[in-house]
Amino acid sequence: MSVYVLCFILFSIGLYCVLRKRNLIKIIIGIGIMEYAVNLFFILIGYRFEGRSPIYAHDKVIKNMVDPLPQAVVLTSIVIGLSVTLMLIAVAMRIYERYKTFDITKINRLKG
Amino acid sequence: MIEIHLILLFMITAAVIAVEVKDLLSSVVAIGSVGIGLSLAFLVLKAPDLAIMQLVVEILSLIILVRATMRKDLPFSISGRWVFNTFATIFFLIVFLTAAYIALKNIQSFGNPVLGISKTYIDKGMEMTGASNVVAAITLNFRSLDSLGEAMALLTSVIGILAVARRIGYNKRS
Amino acid sequence: MRLAQYLIIIPLAAAFVMLLARKRFKSSSDILAVAASLSLTVISFVIALSTASGKAVVNNVGNWPPKIGISLVADGLSSFMLVIANFITLVVSVYSIAYIKKYTDKWKYYSLLMLMAAGVNGVLATSDIFNLFIFMEIASIAVYALVAFGTEREAMEASFKYAVMSTVASSFILMGIAFLYSYTSTLNMADMAIVIASKGPSKVIAFVSVLFLMGFGLKAALVPFHAWLPDAYSSAPATIPAMSSGVLIKSLGVYVIIRIFFNVFGITQEVLNIFITLAVLSMLTGSIMAFGQSNIKRFFGYSSISQIGYIFLGLGIGTPMAIAGSLFHLFNHSAAKSLLFLNAGDIETNFKKTDLNKMSGAAVLARTPVCGYTNLAGMFSICGVPPFAGFWSKLIIILACIQARRPFVAFIAVFVSILTIAYYFRAMTPVLFGEKTGEAAIELKNKPSLTMNLAMIALSLICLFGGVLLLPNNIGNNLLNCARSAIENGCSGYAAILFGAAK
Repeated sequence: MSVYVLCFILFSIGLYCVLRKRNLIKIIIGIGIMEYAVNLFFILIGYRFEGRSPIYAHDKVIKNMVDPLPQAVVLTSIVIGLSVTLMLIAVAMRIYERYKTFDITKINRLKG
Repeated sequence: MIEIHLILLFMITAAVIAVEVKDLLSSVVAIGSVGIGLSLAFLVLKAPDLAIMQLVVEILSLIILVRATMRKDLPFSISGRWVFNTFATIFFLIVFLTAAYIALKNIQSFGNPVLGISKTYIDKGMEMTGASNVVAAITLNFRSLDSLGEAMALLTSVIGILAVARRIGYNKRS
Repeated sequence: MRLAQYLIIIPLAAAFVMLLARKRFKSSSDILAVAASLSLTVISFVIALSTASGKAVVNNVGNWPPKIGISLVADGLSSFMLVIANFITLVVSVYSIAYIKKYTDKWKYYSLLMLMAAGVNGVLATSDIFNLFIFMEIASIAVYALVAFGTEREAMEASFKYAVMSTVASSFILMGIAFLYSYTSTLNMADMAIVIASKGPSKVIAFVSVLFLMGFGLKAALVPFHAWLPDAYSSAPATIPAMSSGVLIKSLGVYVIIRIFFNVFGITQEVLNIFITLAVLSMLTGSIMAFGQSNIKRFFGYSSISQIGYIFLGLGIGTPMAIAGSLFHLFNHSAAKSLLFLNAGDIETNFKKTDLNKMSGAAVLARTPVCGYTNLAGMFSICGVPPFAGFWSKLIIILACIQARRPFVAFIAVFVSILTIAYYFRAMTPVLFGEKTGEAAIELKNKPSLTMNLAMIALSLICLFGGVLLLPNNIGNNLLNCARSAIENGCSGYAAILFGAAK
């Protein structure tokens, strides 16, 4: 239970960074922290005390594997998080070329 | 499970450093350490494939982030407008954490998962697919549409970056 | 015949071939895109025919039984939305043949468009919640890149803000999926419905509902999560708001909210009240903010926010008539709003102006008649002028409000409808009808092209004759009824389709 609470505190730190920081790169870092927290939460859900990795052994029958499905899910989720982060960084670099600043309060030409 | 708590405390400290420090390069290095902490956590939670994957992806995104911040004079980030925005954000986060705590009390306690379809994967995975790594069997065999989608997402991201990085956007002739 | 998987394979193959053939066959990308979207439209019509005659299409990927593997299911609601989404993709591809000439590197545009179509088809056809998340991310990444396609400053700024807000929403959604997996220990939506129904009301489901409303509400541009929409629409090339407003908001936002709240969680009165509150907020905010706009695409964007409010109003009332009206309004709004955005692109290409204040006197109706008359058709449909299709859908929603004994909400719906007529005619009449001569004249820089006119005429025919979906005993009406009953049957109906067809 306390592990879950710590994981959510990590998520909130990332959310705070996205909502409050002015630098574009800090916002991307905040999104990265949020993704780490969500992936960790998935794996924490599937953990079993005294569990073993979900890999078969030749000679014995393993009775207490941890849950393999969240691991497959997080495998895909890490890659999707990488794709979105790459896209964000590319757009941020182009913004720096055009606006000459990373400050989001100055990148404000669209109004209404 | 004292190791998980220690690793999580380390990650939280590194995340706070990444968020608050003024120098951009230092905060990129701090988020690198959050990623390595996550990879260690995956190892302790008995998910070796994920630890490898997280390390590789972490290194990739770190390199690209450093490239994005390196050549641009290391601009320092300045504190923004304070009072109302910060209090509103902290209030929203407190409400969110309280609601999450109430919901977390009602799911399975840590360390005793309820296995639904995972039971079928564990019991019959070897005979259905012939793979000894159950996670590989799930990713490549049972849920192969997910892996196709993951490859499509990478393809979309690459074509998107090519489209965004064009030097000339408009045709001059028309 | 395993049809549903081709919905994802064909656009992926088209995007891949465009990527490979980009240097050798430069003009092949338009032909490939139109051919792919044409075949997608044909496949979705065939699926819709099969569903409307009572037999849902279930496709188990890899031949694994439904709970163990992923299944692609096209029940009534999915087939209805598939027809809408693929037809609008076809129209936009045809339109883009001429429109994309003013941008460089058109193969990138077409392959991103095809990948977006693949993502949307995946969201509509899948029955597994994590698979839905993956395809939703594919479509979203494609849209972030397409909004920034013009590579001007405002486009990059709008794309970044849209991408950040949308990624935060996706994190909330993934967190909700994690909670749901821990609560039900399955990822298949039909199986989840059975487990949730057997466990009864719970605090976990309430928290996950809030997370999903925040996350998918941002994708659906519900107020207060609509802030990305005006910026993203005003700075993108005109076909992108047409695709986004006609296809993405409806598929990634409205469809998923319907699927999750009606078929997986089971609808309760509190959730319906929340829908009505958000709907009223959306209708009022969209209409009031649309009055002061000068950029034409931004103006249409606020109108989109307002019309999405109507769709949620119908869903929130919850009676069968209201749900049918809401689905019909979804259909009409997709056709009409995409038509209006394509018209805006046409005006932009022909007259080179996007500012409404500077365009008065352009006399669009007289000089480019196809654009002008189709614009009138789209406007009449959205404003709700009989006999255009929009009138019937708004009438059904308002009558359903009155029948459900909520006269206050019906009054607001009528008031917003009057506001809609007011702001549309105030903004568009000088552009369509006036004529300035002499020095202040606005000149026609380009002749209108055939493919753009064809696309606009096709959509305007739907706006004009869309009311035929309400007449009994034709194929459209059967499809609408199938969609409505798929929603009303709730959790048990969805599970029955998935597991029943597996035998």
